[in-house]
Amino acid sequence: MAQLLLLHLLAAVVAPWLAKVLRRKAFPVLAVAPAVSFGWLVSVSSDVRAGNLPTQRISWVPGLGIDLDFRLTTLSWVLALLVTGVGALVLLYCTWYFAERDPTLWRFTSVFTAFAGAMLGLVLTDNLLVLYVFWELTTVFSYLLIGHNPASSTNRRAAMQALIVTTFGGLAMLIGIIAVGVHHTYSISELLADPPPLDAVTVTALVLLLVGALSKSALVPFHFWLPGAMAAPTPVSAYLHAAAMVKAGIYLVALLAPAFAGAPAWHALTVGLGLLTMLVGGWRALRQHDIKLLLAYGTVSQLGFIVAIAGLGTKTSALSALALVIAHGLFKSTLFLTVGVVDKCTGTRDLRELSGVGRRLLPVSVPATLAALSMAGIIPLAGFVSKESALEALWQDVQTSTPLPGPWSWLAVTGVVAGSALTVAYTARFLWGAFATKPGVDPTPVKAAHPGFVLSPLLLGVGCLLLGLLSPLESPWLMPYAVSSPLGDTPPSLALWHGLTVPLGLSLVSVAVGLLLFVRRDVVGRAQARVPALVDGERGFSRTMRWVDRGAVETTAVTQRGSLPIYLAAILIVFVALPGAAALTRGTLPSIRLWDNVGQAVVGVFMVAAAVLVLVTRRRLTAVMLVGATGYGVSLLFVLHGAPDLAITQMLVETVSLVVFVLALRRLPTKFTRHPHSPSRTWRIALGVAVGASVGLIALVASGGRTADPVSAEFPTEAYAFGHGKNIVNVTLVDIRAWDTLGEVSVLVAAATGIASLIFVRTRNTRLSRATAKALPSSNPARGTWLHGGRTMRKEKRSVIFEVVTRLVFHVMLAASLFLLFAGHNQPGGGFAGGLVAGLALVVRYLAGGRYELDEAAPFDAGLLVGLGLLVAVGSALAPLAFGGTILETTAVDFTLPPCGEVHLVTSLFFDIGVYLIVVGMMLDIVRSLGTGIDRQIADEESEQEREVART
Amino acid sequence: MTDFPVPNLVPLPVLLPLLGAALTLAFRRSPRLQRSVSIVVLAAVVTVAAVLVWQTDARGPQVLWLGAWQEPLGISLVADRLSALMLLVSGIVTLLVLVFAIGQGQADSDEENESETPLTIFHPTYLVLSAGVSNAFLAGDLFNLFVGFEILLFSSYVLITVGGAASRIHAGTTYVVVSLLSSALFLVGIAAVYAATGTVNLAQLAIRIGDLAPGVALVLQLCLLTAFAIKAAIFPMSAWLPDSYPTAPAPVTAVFAGLLTKVGVYAIIRVQTLLFPDSPLQGLLMWAALLTMVIGILGAVSQSGLKRILSFTLVSHIGYMIFGIALATPHGTAGAIFYVAHHITIQTALFLITGLVERLGGTTSLDRLGGLAVASPVLATLFFVSAMNLSGIPPMSGFLAKIGLLHAGIEVGTPLAWLLVVGGIVTSLLTLYALAKVWSQAFWRTLADAPHSTETVAALGAGTLDVDPAADPATAVVVDTAPRTLPRTMLGATAAMTAVGLAITLVAGPLFAYTQRAASDLAARDPYITTVLPQDVRR
Repeated sequence: MAQLLLLHLLAAVVAPWLAKVLRRKAFPVLAVAPAVSFGWLVSVSSDVRAGNLPTQRISWVPGLGIDLDFRLTTLSWVLALLVTGVGALVLLYCTWYFAERDPTLWRFTSVFTAFAGAMLGLVLTDNLLVLYVFWELTTVFSYLLIGHNPASSTNRRAAMQALIVTTFGGLAMLIGIIAVGVHHTYSISELLADPPPLDAVTVTALVLLLVGALSKSALVPFHFWLPGAMAAPTPVSAYLHAAAMVKAGIYLVALLAPAFAGAPAWHALTVGLGLLTMLVGGWRALRQHDIKLLLAYGTVSQLGFIVAIAGLGTKTSALSALALVIAHGLFKSTLFLTVGVVDKCTGTRDLRELSGVGRRLLPVSVPATLAALSMAGIIPLAGFVSKESALEALWQDVQTSTPLPGPWSWLAVTGVVAGSALTVAYTARFLWGAFATKPGVDPTPVKAAHPGFVLSPLLLGVGCLLLGLLSPLESPWLMPYAVSSPLGDTPPSLALWHGLTVPLGLSLVSVAVGLLLFVRRDVVGRAQARVPALVDGERGFSRTMRWVDRGAVETTAVTQRGSLPIYLAAILIVFVALPGAAALTRGTLPSIRLWDNVGQAVVGVFMVAAAVLVLVTRRRLTAVMLVGATGYGVSLLFVLHGAPDLAITQMLVETVSLVVFVLALRRLPTKFTRHPHSPSRTWRIALGVAVGASVGLIALVASGGRTADPVSAEFPTEAYAFGHGKNIVNVTLVDIRAWDTLGEVSVLVAAATGIASLIFVRTRNTRLSRATAKALPSSNPARGTWLHGGRTMRKEKRSVIFEVVTRLVFHVMLAASLFLLFAGHNQPGGGFAGGLVAGLALVVRYLAGGRYELDEAAPFDAGLLVGLGLLVAVGSALAPLAFGGTILETTAVDFTLPPCGEVHLVTSLFFDIGVYLIVVGMMLDIVRSLGTGIDRQIADEESEQEREVART
Repeated sequence: MTDFPVPNLVPLPVLLPLLGAALTLAFRRSPRLQRSVSIVVLAAVVTVAAVLVWQTDARGPQVLWLGAWQEPLGISLVADRLSALMLLVSGIVTLLVLVFAIGQGQADSDEENESETPLTIFHPTYLVLSAGVSNAFLAGDLFNLFVGFEILLFSSYVLITVGGAASRIHAGTTYVVVSLLSSALFLVGIAAVYAATGTVNLAQLAIRIGDLAPGVALVLQLCLLTAFAIKAAIFPMSAWLPDSYPTAPAPVTAVFAGLLTKVGVYAIIRVQTLLFPDSPLQGLLMWAALLTMVIGILGAVSQSGLKRILSFTLVSHIGYMIFGIALATPHGTAGAIFYVAHHITIQTALFLITGLVERLGGTTSLDRLGGLAVASPVLATLFFVSAMNLSGIPPMSGFLAKIGLLHAGIEVGTPLAWLLVVGGIVTSLLTLYALAKVWSQAFWRTLADAPHSTETVAALGAGTLDVDPAADPATAVVVDTAPRTLPRTMLGATAAMTAVGLAITLVAGPLFAYTQRAASDLAARDPYITTVLPQDVRR
């Protein structure tokens, strides 16, 4: 069975190419897929009848209980025959329906074939989840088919409606399926063989499954999507109404009825809503002028009828439900296909315009009449036989009061009779509307139909007749499904004549009333005007969707303010409300030692004061200085804790940050634009205090809760024994936690690139310019100078003393940076601190001599330096692998180097060199971007302004 | 393979991209070399990740103590089933997005426009980003996890503002400030963790946190969860995401959407299962999941720009993963992991498709788009398949992932779990609605019907709208007289990304079994802890 589905899939995949090559002749080729499937189904029919059910299993996601289980039961066999048989004929019919040059053929062929395959899979599978898979696939493919001509907004809306309504039902069903699967099984055959007890979960699941079925089969209140779906090309409507999609819901009801018809709410949902739908659909069909729309409401009505009968759940009703499904499939496909021919041959579907078509399109009107009579339930057609059987089932119920109790059973019978009367009436309206010669209406011009075009409806129409005549032969094939119901006695065989029975009488009554309704259609029309639509699901749907849309907009307007301060506040409130509050309520505070050393308190007060002042100041530069002050305070605290290494690094970082800030501030207004007395200030202060208090509390609670010794207790001994260094901080950075350092230097690489990217936008600045080329004419080139670059600066910006000091200090700083790098392993220092010192040397050079001086000092690209540094760092991390070691493993080498004497080299030095290079490169990038880059921008703007001035 | 010590492979997904970044910085003058380096490096990462998936599944977690330091002094990198899978999925995504970006860069230079993704900045930064993501997945150490976050965040700061347009800087500011705050809070959390336990090694923490007073442990847990929740964009800390992602260049948004939030989700899974197994915080997380799902998807429904719609669906679907985590059962965790793998691929694919839409239609505003189904059937097919995948239409990965979560939710069966199941279903339906609207407007509707179509045409510089008067009005198409073509490399990368999403369906059986094993590893905790810290070195 999986092979059949694969065949459909394959056909759908090759369809676009096939359609490109063969044009519409692709249809008969594609029809092979359903036709072959049909053939296979016929070939196994005796097995199915004998109860020798073909099964197949392909494992897919066993962990979720989704396996491709297939099982051919009588029910699925019948539906599969319908799906494949009608499918093949409809595909054949398409050959003449579409224009040879239709540009949409490639997608239509593919989607239609896939749709047919999905429907076939749906009825073949034995796994509820797989059933859902195919179920949703039919939804999606029908969405595409309904929106086949998407240029019209009506079509798009109809497609959307069908998608949302049926997916809504589908998702409800999915919950039901999973609930059944979690508590029992996903296997349909197991579920039916051993139905679970009807506890709350099962009943809920069942109701959800029915919601899915009812939405798919377009029952009230979901019925409105189906008439809208006739926006699809007519072959799609024919297939969708007769064999596919809507039949899925009926299939599910019929599948579950034998096992669950006794469940609470079952009959209310199936029989109750089914009959209501039958009446609503029939009533609305009577007011339609478009014959296709008339048929569509007819389908709604018929679907209600079938669901009601299938839901009844007795042996007799089961038999008649199956007969109804087959009869409906045949007559409805015939009718839609003939409407398609009429539409193509006359150019209209409006029954007020059509006149005299029946006589001139005999090959169409004959099968259409046969099918219509079958729809109305007129002897000797298939529709009659099945309706008789349905009335028989209901009459049995009236007599035995099972499963529906007395009054309800009467109501059901009355409902079906009334519904049948409406059916007769709208059938008459259809036949009259489509084919009759109407007085006062000019005969509609008719083009001749290609014989192939009418072949499919003809075959199907004749099928309606044959099935009626041969109905006694049909029964034994359907009986295995009928007897699977526990209720009632084995039903009599289907037949045209059971004698003068009550059902026959009811049938005659409905025909008589129906004809009366048709004859007095003027009265009906006036009544229609007064009772416009019994249940207007469409209005409810659009109201719901509008409500969703508005709710979405309003919710989003509240949650998505577009304001960074509000987003930050939300985050901080969560921080205070969760960890902060937990620390307050669940934590215990340790005894607090205020300070080890009064100096700490002094520094602390100093830092707090600086932090508070930052908030008050209006000048940006002051704020930056004050932030720097807190940073230097941290550095002092490190000193007081006896951590010179950290103090040096912190001090350097703070200095660099200050420089960066100051360089960037040149392009910003001197004062903040904020309004210090804005109304939000109070709660901002409150939140700030709360966050600060939370962090403090968390720190206290966490430190007070300590239960174990820190791992760092072993660092001092291990750093020397295994890391070969006396400076624990450096060993930690380049060895114990070198991996962190590698990560952090990659951060620097990214940051350096980012700064360059923001200033230069497209590339790093690689345009180096040497000072000698750009000396200002005002300077005197002949005399010796301290810094070449100084000559390029304007006089008012130069400081000779600064230049002199720079000249003296620059190389010393470089030497110091190298010292920090090499000595770092045993004494305070390291690659990071060293790199910062070298970078500061460049900063000094730039400040003293301007941008040309910087290029003079570092005539290379910062990116290259950064890249080289990263290469060295990563290379030294990987190098130990070559010696059979672990990544980042270090070793010490002692050797004698003539001028220096004994050298104790720890290989982590190479890693530190990489760090050093990256830091220098980053500093260079910063100075080039925020220094040189901004200089250039300013210079450009100034010359622009000068030109402006010159012009005016 | 047996000769080579597998643990030495573990750091490679970090080191290789860093090496690549170094080389691309050095080869800054040769775009071709930069491209080759990037592709080779990321392809190697995918290979290594695949080997790690295989090895961790066959032999259990792989641990490397870097620098051969004695446990638990140094830093350990750990690849278990979860992190190996994350590495593999993120590796594939990163590689394909790179190909897309290269295609975009080449196409832009062909058109003599200035490139949106300048090579000298893009390649090294992108590779560093990839290293950061890998490091976050591999970190066996809380502080190193922070470092991983920093690497990826800093490179993301660069990428989100690349090009320096005012809108990008503005959006980038939101992103950078929020991320800095989250890093600061994470740091507070790490400090608190170290203060209380004296270690940052995850395996050791797993042992030591059990000894803490429950109140203290709760404070630590909430600190970490808050920090991760910002990164994962969980309501009410999610609003920054839709305001910052959409302005970045298409490949950047794609890789951010695919990976960055998932790193946060990964961290939550890791911390919840390894460090705080006794404090699942089901109620809190379930409410967070529900609100994230529902409010996120309402945001998507309310928008009219494709990028913003997708950003909101991204937030919303993070809720699904939190749903799985909140259940705190192996099935829930497995569902969440599967969902992460699915969502990384599909969300990336959709953003790449959006990049192509922007290219073809000149905009991503639905008010100005139309007729794309006719303009590019291939793009339409890719969008439709991916949109349906994200909406959880079977048999695609989104459906399977959803089933896993719903199954786990119904299994738990508490009223709150049922509420989440219903919320998940509603979210699924609204996702479908939001994306079907996109389809209907951008792809089905003709351009002439779009409210602001003339602006689009003007923007494309395409002359006039042509309505073929001879055509049947139902099938009439509005054609852009000078349709832009989609570069083959970009289309190929997008198609491949979509195909990866579909491939998950095919391998769903083994993949789901794998996530189940990963989840039971996480629940048991033991393979992880014992491999990192053998019994005799625990202190």
